[in-house]
Amino acid sequence: MIGRLAIRRLEVGRRTHLSAALLLVVALVMPFAPARAQAPNQPDALTPVEEFSKQLDAFKKSIPDLNKKIEDSAASVDRWTDVGKARKEIEELRAIVGAALGAVSDNGAVSNLGVQALNHARTKLRALEQDTRFKPEEKQFLTDQWRRLRDETERATEELGTARREFAELLRTLQSNEDFIDELMQIRQAQKALEVIQRLTKDIREASDQLKRLIGGIKPPGA
Amino acid sequence: MRALVVATVLLAQASCQPTGDVGYVEIKTVPTASNVVPPPLYLDTLKVEPSKKGNTILTQRVGTTRLATDGAGGQLMLCEIAVKKNRITTVTISVLERPPRCQCRNGASQNRVCVS
Repeated sequence: MIGRLAIRRLEVGRRTHLSAALLLVVALVMPFAPARAQAPNQPDALTPVEEFSKQLDAFKKSIPDLNKKIEDSAASVDRWTDVGKARKEIEELRAIVGAALGAVSDNGAVSNLGVQALNHARTKLRALEQDTRFKPEEKQFLTDQWRRLRDETERATEELGTARREFAELLRTLQSNEDFIDELMQIRQAQKALEVIQRLTKDIREASDQLKRLIGGIKPPGA
Repeated sequence: MRALVVATVLLAQASCQPTGDVGYVEIKTVPTASNVVPPPLYLDTLKVEPSKKGNTILTQRVGTTRLATDGAGGQLMLCEIAVKKNRITTVTISVLERPPRCQCRNGASQNRVCVS
């Protein structure tokens, strides 16, 4: 009985030692395992084939974009070098100034409103002078109010006259210097066309750099 | 009732203002001294209200319009004015002369037609 008990204790002791040894091995091995798994992801570990494939993909992806940019730029340059477009822009400018002048012209909507408001204030002032319904102080108060309104309306219509003169002068300048303004518009358009070409040149240079990288990535064995 | 009056006024205003393609006519009357009474002027059928500062700008339908004044036997045409789209044609009226005379801004009054 005592002998059997001693043998069992010995077996339990052996199992405990074995488990502890296994744990130690696992603990020593574990920190190295992830490190080994990460190693292929590092850039310096790319093989020449992988590097070439990566560069080729990038270049192939950039080519359709570049082609589209070239087409768009050509269309833009066509637009900006169109002489008729400059004339059209002057006409649009004249239409804008004309519309503003039309609103403030003597038979325009704003001028008519000003004349109506002024006539109304003057009529009210004349009517108040004849009015006997109010006490003198009330009449004085109302007269003062209508006088103030008349004076301010007069000032507003005078300002309208100034705006009318300025718009008329602007329209006259636009039509008397038409040829010179046309030239200025064409210079503006040429500047826009140049900006488009400069942008396109930059894009082409970038594509060229990418192509150089691709060619540089081709390294035959032993080279 | 009030709304009806407002609508009538707006309709009247709309009918005064030419629609479609329009241009502008500037009528300057010289001299502008207060003791000189300017003659009545008509642009086609529209009576031109005299301006205190002797300068009136009107919106006109594109085409040729007649500038006239009162004469002995009815209206007396002073000149014709060519109105172009979104352009201004300026005509100066010398009121001291009898009958008043049109002076075109561009100086080239061909067949008494002022152009912009």
